[in-house]
Amino acid sequence: MIRENPFVYYGKKLFVFLLSLFILSLAVFFISRLAPGDPLVSYYGDRVEKMSVEEREWAENKLGLNESLPVQYGRWAKNALCGDFGISYKYKMEASEVIGERIGNTLVLGGIGFLLTFVLALGLGILCAYYEDKWLDKLLCRVGTITSCIPEFWLSLVLILIFSVNLNLLPGSGAYSIGNKDDFGDRMLHLVLPLAVVVINHLWYYAYMVRNKLLEEVRAEYVLLGKAKGLSKRKIIFRHCLRNIMPSYLSLMAISVPHIMGGTYIIETVFSYPGIGKLATESARYKDYNLLMLICLISGAVVILCNIIAQIINERIDPRMRESRHIEEGEVAENGK
Amino acid sequence: MENKFELVGKRPTVLTESKKRRTLRGKPVISVSFILVLILACSFCELFMPKDPTYMDLYNADAAPNGEFFFGTDAMGRDIFSMIWYGGRISLFIGFFATVISVFIAVIFGSISGLAPKWVDSILMRFTELLLSIPSLLLVILLQAIMGKANVLSISIILGLTGWMSMAKVVRSEVRQIRESEYVIAARCMGAGFWRIVWKHLAPNFVSSIMFMAVMNVRSAIVAESTLSFIGMGLPLEIISWGSLLSLAERSILSGSWWIIVIPGVFLVLTLLCLTNIGNHLRKAVNRKESNL
Repeated sequence: MIRENPFVYYGKKLFVFLLSLFILSLAVFFISRLAPGDPLVSYYGDRVEKMSVEEREWAENKLGLNESLPVQYGRWAKNALCGDFGISYKYKMEASEVIGERIGNTLVLGGIGFLLTFVLALGLGILCAYYEDKWLDKLLCRVGTITSCIPEFWLSLVLILIFSVNLNLLPGSGAYSIGNKDDFGDRMLHLVLPLAVVVINHLWYYAYMVRNKLLEEVRAEYVLLGKAKGLSKRKIIFRHCLRNIMPSYLSLMAISVPHIMGGTYIIETVFSYPGIGKLATESARYKDYNLLMLICLISGAVVILCNIIAQIINERIDPRMRESRHIEEGEVAENGK
Repeated sequence: MENKFELVGKRPTVLTESKKRRTLRGKPVISVSFILVLILACSFCELFMPKDPTYMDLYNADAAPNGEFFFGTDAMGRDIFSMIWYGGRISLFIGFFATVISVFIAVIFGSISGLAPKWVDSILMRFTELLLSIPSLLLVILLQAIMGKANVLSISIILGLTGWMSMAKVVRSEVRQIRESEYVIAARCMGAGFWRIVWKHLAPNFVSSIMFMAVMNVRSAIVAESTLSFIGMGLPLEIISWGSLLSLAERSILSGSWWIIVIPGVFLVLTLLCLTNIGNHLRKAVNRKESNL
């Protein structure tokens, strides 16, 4: 491996990030403008139908909807670079402000959910690998497969039905009860069910990955050596095997961010949790372009960023990944012989 | 051969199991039969449906399961038992049709990318990576907005258009590995066209590796359809599918009618579970050595 200047290395990554972001914004912008549906309706409500032609024209002019698409994109991009993402037609507020109010809620739900999934999946995976082919492992595999098949929205509904409606233990919608906005305990109580759905839904997928990676690792020669040295089973797994799978687990978790994020969006909608996921479905329904674009951009940026982080982790740990193209070519040549 | 030598000390082979049992062992018999029964029942549901699934019997709205309505009725008085079979038809159709579209695109795109010169290949692969980086839910919502009012075909097409990327990557790497083999070169020398090479020479090689992905694709298309319809961006209430059936569930939470949520959901989850089992079976079984622990 030729050592690269770190500035060049990270500069390249930054360039890729910005380029992807630009293409993403272009795609989202054009798709959302091509969509049928009248954005005037979301700004003026039903009054649009009573507007005369001149009034309509005036309104479109005011919102800048009558110019050609490239011009509209150019203006949007120029404003966006100055931090102005336009107003949300529905909320009559700066789009960034609308999102700023809610993004905290999403971060709390997604972040805690992500961390819980991360930790629990690791624990569960180790447990399964430790008791490989014993009844506990088999049971967990069965239950895990079943839970990973349950769609998020249905699990949310069932949990609401059981814990909120029938047992009346936990609140089933919103992020806080009315008038209790700053009550920490109340907020936590509202988080329990959505969090449970996030965790249950994603847990097994990652736990299964950990299990399989560990099972592969356990078959390596060094385990035999450790055993010959008299190390205990637990020590071998925790001290040696786990260390070897951690890097790939970390990069897996970086890639998993979009999955968990996408799941959070649906869960927010079912629980009417005021986060950006609920906002996204709402703004898509009301053709609230500026808001929708900003949400898509933020989500896209997070996804691209996570992919790049995963790539960096992989390349740091295994320099071969950087030359993956050459290896691949070598393989092709060998097969062609 | 057998009579010429006598094998000494050969352990007598005892065949306790019948041949039929052996061929079925380890295969997801229950899952396959469940899916088959479901497909049959949904296709011929007219024969045994006790009620018209679209008829709104407002007199009996929100009825709990009883002798007349086996699974109860929804808030609009429709019979859930009939709706499950009738709607399953649409849900399964969307799942399979979307997968057919995805597989088609994936095979074409992957083959082109695999056979193309390196620079075309890398452009095509960057393109798929970019598509993969957009959260699929948002992509689906955006496309749905373009296509206008959702119907069964438009939803299948959208789900097909958004689900092919990872499969295409697998096809591409398989194709890249075999594109230099003698038989492909020979076929090309004899003047075989793109389609013939893909169909006769490449496809048999990558079929096994995309089978698992295809089955999982059916599963995720069914989930996506029901999720979309549930949040009100998919099929409207009049078109009965498992998703639109469940979209009434939010209202039924308040009235405490559990059957509207639980019964269609159980069918949905069972179907997904069976598909997962079949998919896992199709994935090449890993040959596990003895553990060193």
